[in-house]
Amino acid sequence: MSTAMNFGSKSFKPRAPDKGSFPLDHFGECKAFKDTFMKCLRDNHFDNSKCRLQSKDYLECRMDHQLMAKEPLEKLGFRDLMDPPPSQADKDSKP
Amino acid sequence: MLLPLLLRPSLCGSRASVLLPGCVRTLPGGAAARTLHCQTEDFLRRRLPARLVAQSRGRKWRSQQDEWRTRNKTVLTYIAAAGVGMIGLSYAAVPLYQLYCQASGLGGTAVAGHDTDQVATMTPVKERVIKVTFNADTHASMQWNFRPQQTEIFVVPGETALAFYRAKNPTDKPIIGISTYNVVPFDAGQYFNKIQCFCFEEQRLNPHEEVDMPVFFYIDPEFDEDPRMARVETITLSYTFFEAKEGQKLPLPGYSYN
Repeated sequence: MSTAMNFGSKSFKPRAPDKGSFPLDHFGECKAFKDTFMKCLRDNHFDNSKCRLQSKDYLECRMDHQLMAKEPLEKLGFRDLMDPPPSQADKDSKP
Repeated sequence: MLLPLLLRPSLCGSRASVLLPGCVRTLPGGAAARTLHCQTEDFLRRRLPARLVAQSRGRKWRSQQDEWRTRNKTVLTYIAAAGVGMIGLSYAAVPLYQLYCQASGLGGTAVAGHDTDQVATMTPVKERVIKVTFNADTHASMQWNFRPQQTEIFVVPGETALAFYRAKNPTDKPIIGISTYNVVPFDAGQYFNKIQCFCFEEQRLNPHEEVDMPVFFYIDPEFDEDPRMARVETITLSYTFFEAKEGQKLPLPGYSYN
């Protein structure tokens, strides 16, 4: 694919992350959430769609422990996982 | 025999031209050779004067010369204009090529119009499953143990995904690392957007410390609509850690430091 056209200096240009860099979790405060997420991934053959709840939990843990700037979950692409105020039942629904 | 010999030199001598000395000067050798030489010289000389006479006769010749001169001038002007045009084009080519690259997304340049609001509004393209494989490297002099915690993950465009790397400092002194990343295939790199990661900033690890490093990313939903990406099923994300010297900062692409 990328070798079909060779314009000489075709190279990858890295881009900065949108929200910057994660501070390091030196004290392992969110390690439990990370372990849950990794276990979910291993159980589901590394299918990300099935483990979105765990990833949301991990990011929320980071936000709680000042390891990540607080953002509304919609901005992180978890619009489908947010519980709408009136009913709690929609929490697990995924499109 | 002597008569022609007498005649030739006189004829040769009557024209005071450059050819004459040559004619007379020719070898003292055979008389036959000399007469032949003089004959050819004379023949040529006879030709020349006729043309000279006609040339000097004239308005016709002069106007032709003028015509040639103006024609030459026009041609030279055209050539000079073309040369200047080429130089100008080579200067204009730089921004034009940049525009073209941005419009067509050639060479992995960032597609214009990529903003963070897209994350909130994008919908996942469930049919297109992409495998993202992870690779971790360190520079030769970097002593961290750096590896991904999952070899691969299956994502769909439009859905945010989380992945982890682990880094351990096995030495007895703190080491500061700084990393950069690479996405293969290059063309797919423009659709690979990282919301947050651990690259381009100094990360300090204390002695014998081990940390988890997350990468939070998504693949742009437009990936599915790009015909050039139709055959792409695997994207590889590769991170490389380098040791950072004190106070050194990798230039962050797209950011300006103050």
